[in-house]
Amino acid sequence: MTIKVLFFGILAEVTGNCCKHYPDVSSIGDLKLRIQDDFPEIIHYNFRISLNNEIINNNPSLNDGDEVAFMPPFAGG
Amino acid sequence: MPNNYLIKGPVTHELISLFLKKIGEKTDSGGHSVFIGQVRADKINGKKVKLIEYSAYEELVKVEADKIIKTVLSEFNDVKSIELVHSTGNVKAGEISLFVLVSAGHRHQAIQACSKTVELVKEKLPVWKKEIFEDNSHEWK
Repeated sequence: MTIKVLFFGILAEVTGNCCKHYPDVSSIGDLKLRIQDDFPEIIHYNFRISLNNEIINNNPSLNDGDEVAFMPPFAGG
Repeated sequence: MPNNYLIKGPVTHELISLFLKKIGEKTDSGGHSVFIGQVRADKINGKKVKLIEYSAYEELVKVEADKIIKTVLSEFNDVKSIELVHSTGNVKAGEISLFVLVSAGHRHQAIQACSKTVELVKEKLPVWKKEIFEDNSHEWK
């Protein structure tokens, strides 16, 4: 199984990626650890997470093809 | 008219004129309130902002903007319609990055609902801005 991960705003700049795929990830918590391993500096930033276009605050399990976005504080307007 | 709330580049005067021309069709409305958000040439640490580069999570913008409009319509029962357009990409200082038009039966709800919509856009819409200075350095907001 593969999870599509999107980074926005300053997180795209910090990670050098707007999009990355992670195989064999069981949950959001697991994915966060994998991303912290790849991009340790990400822990210095606040972010919210969405799963398949829904902002989440919990730690759901993930399924093949899920799209997870890491989003810094919004700054529209 | 953008159908997903986003427009590449600035919100143009022509687009705003199109929205304003259409208000004549809303004969159930007696008041229209408009908010126009414009890029400021802020000076930060002696450097002047020349433009803002907006980025957005486009699919989630659609979801969240639909929710914003639903929320405002449910809170203000005299509001007939809400139009919302936000820029992506580059918008220069002095250009427009956000347009909100609320039509209501009467003025009070038009004004209050417009203000509420703008506040929810600021809070809920997944949009980010990178200020580009005249020396081409940048800062995320």
